[in-house]
Amino acid sequence: MKIIEVKNLEKIYGEGDARTTALDGVTFDIKKGEFVAIMGPSGSGKSTLLHVLGFLDKHTGGEYYFEGKKIESYTEDDLAKLRNNKMGFVFQAFNLLPRTTVLENVKLPLLYSDIPESKWDALALEAIDSVGLTHRLSHEPSQLSGGEKQRVAIARALILNPSVIFADEPTGNLDSKSGQIVMQTLQRLNEEHGNTIILITHETYTAEHATRIIKLHDGKIVTDEAVKHRLKATQFIK
Amino acid sequence: MILKYTLKTAITGLRTNKSRSVLTVLGIVIGITAIMLIASLGKGAQNLILDQIQGMGTKTVIVLPGRQPKGASDSAQMFTDSLKEKDLEALMKKSNAPTIAKVMPVVFGADTAVYGSETYRMTIFGASPMISEIFDLDVDKGEFFTDEDVKSLADVAVIGANIKDELFGSSDAVGQRIKIKNRTFRIVGTMPKKGQVSFFNFDDIAIIPYTTTQQYILGVKYYQRLIIQADSEANIKRTVKDVTTTLRNNHDITDPEKDDFHIETQEDIASRLSVVTDVLTMFLIAVAAISLIVGGIGIMNIMLVSVTERTREIGLRKAVGATEKDVLYQFLLESVLLTGTGGAIGIFLGATLSFLISLILSNVVGLSWEFIFPLSATLIGLFVSGMVGLVFGLYPARQAARKSPMEALRYE
Repeated sequence: MKIIEVKNLEKIYGEGDARTTALDGVTFDIKKGEFVAIMGPSGSGKSTLLHVLGFLDKHTGGEYYFEGKKIESYTEDDLAKLRNNKMGFVFQAFNLLPRTTVLENVKLPLLYSDIPESKWDALALEAIDSVGLTHRLSHEPSQLSGGEKQRVAIARALILNPSVIFADEPTGNLDSKSGQIVMQTLQRLNEEHGNTIILITHETYTAEHATRIIKLHDGKIVTDEAVKHRLKATQFIK
Repeated sequence: MILKYTLKTAITGLRTNKSRSVLTVLGIVIGITAIMLIASLGKGAQNLILDQIQGMGTKTVIVLPGRQPKGASDSAQMFTDSLKEKDLEALMKKSNAPTIAKVMPVVFGADTAVYGSETYRMTIFGASPMISEIFDLDVDKGEFFTDEDVKSLADVAVIGANIKDELFGSSDAVGQRIKIKNRTFRIVGTMPKKGQVSFFNFDDIAIIPYTTTQQYILGVKYYQRLIIQADSEANIKRTVKDVTTTLRNNHDITDPEKDDFHIETQEDIASRLSVVTDVLTMFLIAVAAISLIVGGIGIMNIMLVSVTERTREIGLRKAVGATEKDVLYQFLLESVLLTGTGGAIGIFLGATLSFLISLILSNVVGLSWEFIFPLSATLIGLFVSGMVGLVFGLYPARQAARKSPMEALRYE
């Protein structure tokens, strides 16, 4: 089943002399359960692609179908709702709320969902458990290491069991060991829970944890192929 | 988003910037405090003034020359000589006005009292002994002149405390003679310090029989006031009616429009004064309200800063599913919470301060001041402070709600 399908996707910023083409006719699709890495140097359009795919930005040309439906048919509120219960985001800069505990941070998407409040704690605890941070429940972000922060962000991303998790350079701010743990977490979610993951990275090493790599250059797809020797991050886990 | 969580989010947002929140809300606190103070003290002052007027006695009716003035500038008719001795005589007749207990004519003027080389500019009150009853006046030395003195145009005077101090210092004044208009008056009594009563400061007043005052000091044949005491409060209306009829008969007036006198009861004066103090209070409250607007602009300013500072947070919330409305409500609630809290603090401060001031006024200054909790100002204060938050929070909150999630997340 295709979760995401884009045809000739275009994104142009600005007008006149300031006109920049960030995405220049991108076509591909992503099926449920895939772990796709989108690679490319900076300025290649990979972040723009993630923003468009995650409804955080609008494309200016081509077509985008999410779960078989053209996204133009959704209202802004529909898109917010889809972001809430079909998508999860993990950012390079973690984006956790400061002075807010791990538990409350992970609960954040629930505030905007239809899930009854009585189930919130159980869901949050389950998500935190799946990234192995149950012992950090009442810590605030400032008391956590970078790797732990990113795992909190992952827990937040998967709390509503989304169809797709978008990870934008999730290891970019981490040392290699923490990065390994984050990648291992993502791999496990993909393999054990069947979450579809779209990972943005500029490192070949990180990208090889995925099952498929799409390489972008100047807003165009250069290659789109399966990973031959997939890296497993399990060996680093305690 | 569930209200409880919007509230929680808003509180968290405010608490993370505690000192800024406190400083921001200061304008609102001051504004509401001022409004509470003005409302409470204004009402207290009003009551004090009304109390003093009531001090003249609620059985009192005052007849003034000239028709009822039609406005503040309509004073021409007030200074006529329409009240004469025959009016006094007519009113004293039981057949004309059976409910009248007493009538006292009053004339007044200002003149200089001379004692040896000392002089003192004072107010002269030409009255009858009844004045001591109406204004609750006492003599501490000597005694009041009598109705006999009034009849015989006696040259006697009762003087207020300031006149006595200025002319005689610490020595005894009773029995001494002073000169007014080169006529010699014997001081029969002195009054203790009393201060302001109604519109008069009796410390600066010399009371002389009205007949003497008319004849030898002012040189007039009319009265400036007829102060009438009804036999009971219940008969005030009847008395006013009888007095009107009697005076119209006396003056050959058939058309009430042409009345050359008018009558004031304590109630009239009280209600007229209430209007004055009410307007004054409203005016002061309006001035205080300006501080609320200034405070509101401060709130807007800080909310805008806060929205910019928390751009990434807004982006994140939108990324995890917050709609524009969710973000709008969150920031609106923050600002309403901020001003509402400010309002509550202002109400508390205002009430406490006006209570303390009323304690000082009644215990230290010695006024018969009563603390009044301004309930209407409290409710208005709470409402207005909430509205200030809503109005001045709307623009920043909309700015926040409209941020594109992508741009908000990229914000450094």
